[in-house]
Amino acid sequence: MIQLTNVSKIYPNGSRALVDISLKIDNGEFVFLVGPSGAGKSTLIRLLYREELPTRGQVTMNGRSMIRLRDREVPQLRRTVGVIFQDFRLLPNKTAFENVAFALEVIGVGRREVKNRTKKALELVGLANKENCFPHQLSGGEQQRVSVARAIVNNPALLVADEPTGNLDPETAWGIMELLYNINRRGTTIVMATHAREIVDQMQKRVIAIEDGKVARDQKQGAYGYGT
Amino acid sequence: MAMGLNSVGYIFREVGNSIRRNAWLSLASVLTVTISMVILGASIFFLLNASNLAADFESELEIAVFAKDTLDSQEIKALGEKIKDLSGVDTIEFVPKEQALKDLTKSMKSTSIVEDIGDTNPFPDKYTVHVVDPQQVQNVADRITKLTGVDNVVYGKDVVEPLLKFTEWLRWAGTIIVGLFAVASLVLISLNIKMNVFSRRKEIEIMKLVGASNAFIRWPFILEGLFLGLIGGLLAVLVVGLGYDWLARYIQDTLTFMPVVHETELIGKVLGSLVLVGMGIGALGSTISLRRFLKV
Repeated sequence: MIQLTNVSKIYPNGSRALVDISLKIDNGEFVFLVGPSGAGKSTLIRLLYREELPTRGQVTMNGRSMIRLRDREVPQLRRTVGVIFQDFRLLPNKTAFENVAFALEVIGVGRREVKNRTKKALELVGLANKENCFPHQLSGGEQQRVSVARAIVNNPALLVADEPTGNLDPETAWGIMELLYNINRRGTTIVMATHAREIVDQMQKRVIAIEDGKVARDQKQGAYGYGT
Repeated sequence: MAMGLNSVGYIFREVGNSIRRNAWLSLASVLTVTISMVILGASIFFLLNASNLAADFESELEIAVFAKDTLDSQEIKALGEKIKDLSGVDTIEFVPKEQALKDLTKSMKSTSIVEDIGDTNPFPDKYTVHVVDPQQVQNVADRITKLTGVDNVVYGKDVVEPLLKFTEWLRWAGTIIVGLFAVASLVLISLNIKMNVFSRRKEIEIMKLVGASNAFIRWPFILEGLFLGLIGGLLAVLVVGLGYDWLARYIQDTLTFMPVVHETELIGKVLGSLVLVGMGIGALGSTISLRRFLKV
């Protein structure tokens, strides 16, 4: 369970990204973060994998504070969180297979196990036949699938996604959502910031709307809720 | 942080891959190290030879002490002992008057003078004195003058001061040149490493994202820096070693009076340290450049 208690984030330049936010996300939930650009969605996401620390307040994951981590505990935490970005963030000089395997290799997994788990993850996202392609040889949707495979390859308890469909056409976007849906069904908590109205409206999952750094709305089985 | 064998294997493979895939950047790094170390090596050899030359000039400085004609051989010997006991005196050599006459005859390439002067020998007995510190020539000469039995002291008063100034300048110039080029090569190399790290910041970011420890991220860069520094340093040793060998021969053939440093051991030490410096700068530069990217 993720719990934010009275969390505020003020950046050094004075901009107030989050103002006194408190919320709970249970294990296994699928949560959409919606709201205008610059409302604080990305900041909230970044708190969850400790890219940022809150200025005030507490963030806990399964009861453990994420703020009072020692430097060497941070990598340990990040191994339990998978992250997906709008711009994929694949390494251009590594193949699809190597990009996914990378996530295992850097945490010291043995070679044979790296191979097995990487193949499984690529199969899960439907790219088993393209494992030797470099990112520039793949379509946008395929690249995002590789990044999903990389995010889930070490079985994280939490998957956070910052506008994962933002660069994709609607059809491809739905392919990614289907993938996330299946991953969520296998027990992984998913927190996804998005502007994709149709997706949010159809998926019927919990929706948290952030406006001006505050929680404006929090609905089970919610809708996107902003005008076109 | 402790790392498993898996990680060690991965890191070595990663270093190989990185050098292969970033071949141009790796080549640029190697050449940067090579050029820097060539410059540094050349300036070190310049310094070595400058100070060698200075020492050579200074060793030419000697004090000629002429004994009074009236002294018998016993007294002359005693005078020699006294000079030797003075502080600042390094070596002392006795030149009897017979030797002086012989030397003159030799340099005149004829015996006519000796025949002319017959049996008389106009030369006084002489001591040639070398001092420990060339700066002290005048001081020592003054003290010798005061000894009893000394007729005259000659040490090229007018030459000593400008010569010492010149040798001092030579040493300073050498040191400054080495210093400047050391700084220049450090800047050059660290700039290159920064480029290298910057070009891979995405990779570093992703490594952090998936939970790689800082040590794990750092090691490939350090090893790569060491390796590229080693190659660059070895190339530099080749260039500097061969170049210096050629230049030393050339100078000795054309300017025979110029002293050239050619102690093999010393040259080996300089060349060896070029390789070590190259490797050290490579590894250290990588670590420092990475720090900014590793802040959690």
